[in-house]
Amino acid sequence: MEMEGGEKSRSRLCSICNQRRPALKRPKTLQQICRECFYVVFEEEIHRVIVDNNLFKPGERIAIGASGGKDSTVLAYVMSELNRRHNYGLDLFLLSVDEGITGYRDDSLETVKRNELQYGLPLKVVSYKDLYGWTMDEIVKMIGLKNNCTFCGVFRRQALDRGAALLKVDKLATGHNADDIAETVLLNILRGDIARLSRCTSIITGEDGPIPRCKPFKYTYEKEIVIYPLSYTPLILLSFSFLFGFDGTLPFIY
Amino acid sequence: MQLTLEFGGGLELLCDSVKVHSVDVDLPAEEKKLTMKHLLAWVRNNLIKERPEMFMKGDTVRPGVLVLVNDCDWELSGQLDTTLENKDVVVFISTLHGG
Amino acid sequence: MACNGTGCQSGCYKDTTGDQHDNHNNSAADANADDNNRRHRTTCLKCKATEATVFTGGDGGGRFCADCFRSNLYGKFKLAVTSNAMISPTDKVLVAFSGGPSSRVALQFVSEMQLKAQKNYDATANRDRSLPVFAVGVAFIDESEIHPVASAAFDKAVEDIKEIVSNLPLPTKELHVAPISHVYSTKTSDGKQMLRNLTNSVSDATGKEDLLTHLRMLSLQKVAIKNGYTKLVLGSCTSRIACHVLSATVKGQGYSLAADIQYADARWEVPVVLPLRDCPLQELNILCNLDSLKIVDIFNETGAGINGLVSSFVKILQEENPSRECTIVRTAGKLTPFPFNRIPEANVDDADLVSQRRQKKFNLKPIESLPPESFCPICNSPMSCYGNAESRPELFRAACCPSCQYQILPDEASSMDQFYSFLPESIIARAKNGNQKWIREKIQDCLLLDDEDEV
Repeated sequence: MEMEGGEKSRSRLCSICNQRRPALKRPKTLQQICRECFYVVFEEEIHRVIVDNNLFKPGERIAIGASGGKDSTVLAYVMSELNRRHNYGLDLFLLSVDEGITGYRDDSLETVKRNELQYGLPLKVVSYKDLYGWTMDEIVKMIGLKNNCTFCGVFRRQALDRGAALLKVDKLATGHNADDIAETVLLNILRGDIARLSRCTSIITGEDGPIPRCKPFKYTYEKEIVIYPLSYTPLILLSFSFLFGFDGTLPFIY
Repeated sequence: MQLTLEFGGGLELLCDSVKVHSVDVDLPAEEKKLTMKHLLAWVRNNLIKERPEMFMKGDTVRPGVLVLVNDCDWELSGQLDTTLENKDVVVFISTLHGG
Repeated sequence: MACNGTGCQSGCYKDTTGDQHDNHNNSAADANADDNNRRHRTTCLKCKATEATVFTGGDGGGRFCADCFRSNLYGKFKLAVTSNAMISPTDKVLVAFSGGPSSRVALQFVSEMQLKAQKNYDATANRDRSLPVFAVGVAFIDESEIHPVASAAFDKAVEDIKEIVSNLPLPTKELHVAPISHVYSTKTSDGKQMLRNLTNSVSDATGKEDLLTHLRMLSLQKVAIKNGYTKLVLGSCTSRIACHVLSATVKGQGYSLAADIQYADARWEVPVVLPLRDCPLQELNILCNLDSLKIVDIFNETGAGINGLVSSFVKILQEENPSRECTIVRTAGKLTPFPFNRIPEANVDDADLVSQRRQKKFNLKPIESLPPESFCPICNSPMSCYGNAESRPELFRAACCPSCQYQILPDEASSMDQFYSFLPESIIARAKNGNQKWIREKIQDCLLLDDEDEV
């Protein structure tokens, strides 16, 4: 704006601080902002979502569903940061599910274990073997590769609930982000699933059930979740090993 | 031209599980500068060993792949038209890995 | 979901593979028995007498003979018209004709319906209380000012449209060809320039397309009002509506979406009706081929914006699962319609006719939602909060729906001033409350009707 037109967009400044060079185009607002402002607004927006929606009450025990993937890793980090910074007074836990798929969870469980050390969050791993007496590998052996996603999805949902019950938590926080929710909305329209369509955008679900779930990342875009760890110091990067170094990622091709 | 290319979020699996590549890319014939468009074609031909469709769609990256040039979102530098210089660092991250 | 898809697909494709199998066996020894089998399979589902030549995918799809297919499709149109009181005998109906297959079929069906009414009238003309026959006109909006086409191609298109209209069954239908710039009341040349300026001041591809759609509707309304039409028939088919559902969702138009996808829409000064709401494009295409209904392909470029993306997405979905479009429309159909989503009862002196027509009405869902507080001056979307509008550009922005604000209106104040200065008078007037007052009156009619029905 300070220059003529947009041709010199490289020389534009961050639209928040107006001082530094922008490093990111926000997918939500198309604002161009610098690294420093990015992580301030990123965390602050999540804080606002938590406060405005009364997601948590002081003294609550909260389990964070931790898969070792990007969303839950960033969620665990941001939650523990905000809890400290804004005195939420929350008792935070990490909760992981081990499906027993060879080569699939082994690495990501390593990541989660590192997170446990890094943020000082206690970790509870629930295995399919413990819960159901079967590992996913054994299920696949029985029913073949075709429909096992259905099993895994249903089992995983239950496993998180059972694990949360074991930990006696008040609420379960999951890493579902804005992109996930948009995808779910479309899928439910295409399927004609009116019941799910009407509840899939709620930030808190299952309030009538034993353990309510909430999505602090409801308004957070996937792109920013992936970029967020990159804008941090190398020390913290270590714990976001799904991006670099250790291979903590769930291979996206599985 | 010396460049450092980094692949993350699962993309490294498409190039022999190597995350960081120090490469030397030649300017395309009759061109004065190297753009991201050229680099992507070069990566596809020289680094990607399998399933190129997980990385590219048409002449650009597949939706869901983030590109950073020197730690800066390539959407700010003109995407395919971004000009590269010697010693630049280009990062490709797939957002499609699990949550 | 994957299971759903494959389940249906296997069901749908089973017939095809079965046929191939039969053909293969045909060459074998027991050709006789097999021939019987084949005949049985390809008999029309409806009349069970004639050989089926038409295959329609999707909900209620099947194999039909040409006659049954035609009457089935016409039946869907007729049911939509009668059960929603779309056309009454005193109406003067304007059919919006773009040249495409959907509006071509709408035009054909409306004409057939008029012809039948005319025959009835002729048969009962001597008796008392015979119903008059509704009148039909055709409107074609010339968008060459926005989509430049070679003048020869355009002249050819207009000639073709004239021919199509003159070949329709009697009585003769008037054709109105109106340039889209006539939404401006100024001289044609000034209007052209204003229109060009207006569309050029919208940078977003989707916003430009949407603005054009709204201007097209304004043009149609203007033609209808000027020539005394009482209903406007659009050819919006299931496929088109399915695309609108998804793109409106993407654009954040969830609140107003219910208003756009109903059979009737009395938001407009001349109420708009969608009699082909239950007909998928695929079936309309089949009919056009079957009956050699001529299509005029002009101004039909697919955009690069959200709308183009969504329609190619829906097209692929539909190819993979033939009933997907219907599912989308059915899902969105669960949204509660607005009070204006029904045809308001006409005048009191029509009471006789009204009572006759009312017997035909059934299935009218009770309308529970509250009337909206205001309407967006650009797209006429209902809004849940009241935007107070004046003639100043920034206040105009406040009067627009969030979707138009984001997609169409320029961000910066100076461009906004310019954009505002290029707007047609009717949009400005709409922003100045006149529209809202008029709408209130319309809604009042609807609300009164609800009370009546309860008694």
